[in-house]
Order: sequence, then structure tokens, then C-alpha cells
Amino acid sequence: MQYGRAVGSAVAVVGLRREFGGRRGQPVVTALKDVNLQIPEGEIHGLLGPNGAGKTTLCKILSTVLLPTRGSVEICGYDVESETAAVRRLIGIVFGGERGLYTRLTARGNLEFWASLYGLSGTQSQRRVGQLLERLGLDQRADTRVETFSRGMKQRLHLARGLIGDPRVLILDEPTTGMDPVAAQEFRTLVTSLQTEGRTILVTTHDMAEAEAICDRVTLIDHGSVLATERPSTLGRWITRYARVRASGLLPAQVAPVTAALSGLDGVATVHEVAEGTLLVDTAADGAAPAVMRLLLDLGITDVATTRPDLAEVYLRVIGNRGMRVDR
Amino acid sequence: MTLIIAPPTRLESALAYLNGLLAGSEREVRELRRSPDRLMALVTAPLLTLVFLAIMLQAGREDLAPFAVLAPALLVLWQMALQTSGDTVESERENGSLEALVVAPAPFPAVITGRIAAVTTVSMLGFVESWLVAALVFGVRVEIYHPWVFVGAVLATAYATAGSAMALAALFVRTRAARAFQNTLTYPFYILGGIIVPVSYLPDWLEPATRLVFLSWSSDLMRSSLDAGPVQGVALHLVMIVLLGTLGGVVGGVLVRRALAEVRQTGTIGHA
Repeated sequence: MQYGRAVGSAVAVVGLRREFGGRRGQPVVTALKDVNLQIPEGEIHGLLGPNGAGKTTLCKILSTVLLPTRGSVEICGYDVESETAAVRRLIGIVFGGERGLYTRLTARGNLEFWASLYGLSGTQSQRRVGQLLERLGLDQRADTRVETFSRGMKQRLHLARGLIGDPRVLILDEPTTGMDPVAAQEFRTLVTSLQTEGRTILVTTHDMAEAEAICDRVTLIDHGSVLATERPSTLGRWITRYARVRASGLLPAQVAPVTAALSGLDGVATVHEVAEGTLLVDTAADGAAPAVMRLLLDLGITDVATTRPDLAEVYLRVIGNRGMRVDR
Repeated sequence: MTLIIAPPTRLESALAYLNGLLAGSEREVRELRRSPDRLMALVTAPLLTLVFLAIMLQAGREDLAPFAVLAPALLVLWQMALQTSGDTVESERENGSLEALVVAPAPFPAVITGRIAAVTTVSMLGFVESWLVAALVFGVRVEIYHPWVFVGAVLATAYATAGSAMALAALFVRTRAARAFQNTLTYPFYILGGIIVPVSYLPDWLEPATRLVFLSWSSDLMRSSLDAGPVQGVALHLVMIVLLGTLGGVVGGVLVRRALAEVRQTGTIGHA
């Protein structure tokens, strides 16, 4: 049984703008600029972007912690500004990091407290808390103080807290920050399993691999603007396509002929000498980077490395190619 | 199957408030059990009783023993309530849990009230401590001549303490210097509440101000209940204590809600 209005989108954001400051002469900082986002029910949606992109601000507005400056935001058809109480019964929120738990209480004590706030009676609370502790692999440490937990265990407890009210929309803000790879992988598996229960999950991350692993679709956000919403496989292809090759240790006499040879290859976008004897080759087609590396080796240049461009650069180039204006 | 969520009814809102109240009080009891440092005020009550009683007995004023016993207990009551009202907001902010707490279905003011109510209940131990020190250390038995008046005054005072602490919590939601306010709000209330010195001993011009502080009515009534003579104006005192406490609670609740709405606008809710 699900709660909420029968709507197509679990999350509907239209023309959202959020500004900070502007009081007592403070400068106005725009954290989100005319953001539009639709997340259908049952989707795991990634919000991908660098630090300061506006991901957390968006999560806080969706979870009713912050008010929008302009625009409309609905969760399962309920407006976050005018129907706050209904929205709060529909969402669960998990902020990343170790903070946010009561470390002197046990895992069970923490969850029982939140269960009370969500109106679960004694029996319901016991059952729900027991189920969540078992599901998240914390049942063996249920009665241990949280201050003794590892970061991964704390993050699982955070997730259990977010699930205590049986939310229809789960918002995870950088949930794997600081986790070791094994714990992060376990956490992703848990998140994926939640989708089978029909929940909609919005997860913010700056890790492309994480987004690829668990998300149905990913929205790239930077400087408060949505740059694109795509399937993770598309993003992965873009990143490979736009790989960069860096060749170092060229003699002054080699620079011009090597640059000319590289520029003549299919899929090479630009070749720049970024430092004395160092060339940076930007590619723009599948398979171009290996061809560049082969040519460099054939020319006797062995100090060669590939780097992946950051996501914002990829999106700007892709979107630029499509002729879309990006407001930065 | 999709169910429509209707706006919460009055009953649902009341239940949500009750949930918050119970969750807050239960959590406070658990935290107190695991953090005995938060009960430090209870350690000071016997020591203060020792000091006050020693001075009065040395001065040959055994008749003032009830004053010396009541004062430390009321000090503890106010000190613990003030500490909790400030820490409730500040510690959640520092802990990174304030944001999750204010977006939970149970109203945040209810959680604060629950926590303060639990602490206030525990702080009643201060009365027991003071009486025991007087009896066991000095052999002074402070008689409660009007036990029902005394019990009524203690219960009304506990209620008013929780209500007034709520008003202070509203102040602490807005400020990032909650602990500084906590420290500065102790002595003015000790004096205006007639805790250490009865308000009748203070300059006349201070009296109007003292009558706005519920503790002045509480301390007067408690002291009267320890006196062999008849107690005057019991009903008036009880009504004033409850009224001022309720006023503090209601105003505090409204102010907390307003402050939360404002910090949602400014985005400063989680700032430590």
C-alpha cells in the first residue's frame, strides 16, 4: 500500500530557484537557477556534480528543510511549501557523513526514538526497528552504543533511520562519503534492493562510478544549473569519448610535427602545448584515445598518460555540440 | 494501490504532538542514564545546602533553615531546565541531527517540551537531596506543615519550568550563542524568582518585575507551606504559576515555529 496522490512523477521540480543572503547588505548567492527535474515513481535517480554544485541545496528543498525562493517543488503531488506535513510523511532523508546520530545511544535506541517521531506504536516500533536492524546487518550490534561503530555501520544506521517511516521517496545526500570501497559497495547493494519495493530514490554523488552502478538516470548539476539528464551508460560513453592524452618529454624539434600528425587523426578535437615539451590532446570520438597513444608510441614518445575530463567539461562540450545554451 | 494523504486532522496533529512529547522525554531519560555529566547540577544541591545552612546556623537563625533547604532545590530545577532548553537545540545542531529532527512528522517543539519535562522531573531529586543533607549533616528536620500545598506548588512549578524553558528554547533556535545566553540567564532568574532571597526582601521597585517570573510565586508558596501558620492565597499562587508557565509554553511554541519557518527561509538551520 502506498501513500500519496496518484501522479506520474514522484518528484516534480519546475523553475526552481534558491538564493541565499541579501539581508543586511549581504551579497545574494544563487545556489539553484531555474532547475527543472522530473523523477518518475520507482526510479533511482542520481544527482551528479562537483562540490558546491547545488546538490545538497536541492535535497534540502525536497526534504522541506529549506524553502524555495521561486518555482514549484512537489513530492508525489504534494507541494513542499504549502503541504509540508504531507510531504514529511512521504519522505525519508539520509545525509552523508558520520554526524546526525546519537552516539551515546545504541543503534536500537536511535531507531526507537525516530520511530516514535514517526508515530509508530510500541509494538510497531519494535517490529520495524528489528526488521531494519536485521536487513541492514546491524542486528548483532543493535544494543551497542553508536560511538563504537565504524563509518560504514553508521551509514547503514543512517539509512535505517531514513527508512523508519517507510518512505515513498528516499533522499540520500552523498551517502557513501568517506566509506571504504567494500562498505560503499555493500551500501549500494542495499540501496538497489530498496527499489524493488517501489520506492523512488534520489541519490547525490560526485562519483561517476557510483552513479553508473545504481542509477536508472542521472542528472548532472553544476553551478546551480541542470546541465543534462541521461542514462548512466550514456554518461560513461561520453567520458570515454572525451578522454585526454598527455604526452610529455618531447624535444623542441618534435613538437610541431607531432602536433600536426596528431591533429590529422580522426576523433582528435584539439592539440595544445600546455608546457614546454608537453602536449595535451583532447579527443571527441570513441576509440580516438587509443589511436592517439599508438601514434605517439610509433613516434618514439613513451611518456604518455590518459586522463578523464571532469564531468562538467564533458557536459559542456556535449551540450555545446547540441547547440544548447548553458548558463554558467 | 495509492492512498490520498489528507491534511492532518486536529486529532492527528494532537497525536503527532504526543508522539514528539513521549519521544523527547524517553530520549532524554536514556541520554541522562548514559551521560551522568548532565546531572552535575544535582551534585551541587547538597553542597549549596551545606553552605547555606552552615551560615544560617552559625548566625543562630535556625528559623531560616527552610529558606536554606528550598533555595538549592529551586536552583537545581531552574539550572537543569535552562541547560536542557539551550542544549536541546545547540546539541542537535552540533550533532548534525537538527535538520532531520525538524522535518520529522512529530513537531519539533513537542520534542523539546518532552526533553525539558523529563529533565524537570529528574531535577525534583534536588528537593530530596536538600532535605536529606539538612537532616543527616546538621540534624535539622525541616517540617512541611502544609504537605498538599507543598506538593501542589512543586507540581505546578515543574509544569511552569517546562513551559518557561520552552520560551527560552525559542531564543536558542535563533542564536548561535545559546550557551552564552544560558549562562547569563541564570542569576537574573535566581534573584527575580526569589530563589535565594525572598522577593519581599528586595527593593520595592523590583516587585512588579518579580511577579512576571513564575518562580517568585513558586518560592513564596513553597516557603509558606513550610511555615506553621496558615497559608494565604494558595489558589492565587497556583493559578499564577500555572498561568505564567502556560504563557511561556505557548509563546515559546509559537516562537519556535516562527524561528523554524524563518531559518527555512534563510537557510541557517543547521549552522553550528
